[in-house]
Amino acid sequence: MKLGILLTTGPENENTGTVIAISRAARDKGHEVSIFLMYDGVYNIHKKEFSELVDRGVNITLCALNATQRNISKTEGILFGSQYDNACIVNEVDRFISFG
Amino acid sequence: MKKITVIVRHLPLNTRKNAEALRMSVGLTLREDKVTVIFIDDGVHTATPARPELINLQPLNKEFEALSLLKCTLMADKPSMEKRGIKNLVTNIKVAEREEIVRTITDSDIVIPF
Amino acid sequence: MIVELDLRGEVCPYTFVKTKLKLEELESGEELNVILDHAPAVDNVPRSLKNEGHKILEIEQNGDHLWKVKILKA
Repeated sequence: MKLGILLTTGPENENTGTVIAISRAARDKGHEVSIFLMYDGVYNIHKKEFSELVDRGVNITLCALNATQRNISKTEGILFGSQYDNACIVNEVDRFISFG
Repeated sequence: MKKITVIVRHLPLNTRKNAEALRMSVGLTLREDKVTVIFIDDGVHTATPARPELINLQPLNKEFEALSLLKCTLMADKPSMEKRGIKNLVTNIKVAEREEIVRTITDSDIVIPF
Repeated sequence: MIVELDLRGEVCPYTFVKTKLKLEELESGEELNVILDHAPAVDNVPRSLKNEGHKILEIEQNGDHLWKVKILKA
């Protein structure tokens, strides 16, 4: 199954832990996981758990405009994409969960 | 084609959140999905012809124009409006009874509360 | 004929939305040149257009914050 996750809150919010745990569990069961970070969600990319998710095969994309607004520089393994990418994720997944 | 509903439910000033919800909604139309934006609870204040530019905040005209151009359905929850004494809405936002709001949400493939 | 679209001052997703709407007015095989000054859009607009099947002929940089993306409509 393809799972899509939208995260719009910063790393201090409990949503971050939930997203990490759900993504790990879904990957362990062999599901495809795509995360889109926007608004304050882009602040999460410097958490080491997010790099680990990339290593586990989770696709992580963020809104490059929101990252530029917050002076967040490019990080390996994370696609600095656009809202078009979010539209693609929403369009292609079987389930989509939003954390805001 | 999927039915996507974005729900705006918070006050519009002192935050970029609601503007971002609308910008995301514009983006969600790009794969030919059907996008509906619902304004409910305090979110209905976002749907009024307010003038945030008077306090140096960016108005949402551009977002609303794009959403109309892209044929998104925009609706405001009538009970939320009545409770807050709101009578005027931005053009192209329709007043919807609670039943219609509930039906729209339950008929959606994806719901994104923002 | 080459159609030009000036998107200076526009950010995502309006850069792509406006490019897409303009492309809808053109015939297959026609060329659209889009002028951008929002750096992330210079990566993302061409990538999204390719995903939609269009061809990117060239991305020309004309200054520190000014680019021209040349697109061939599919």
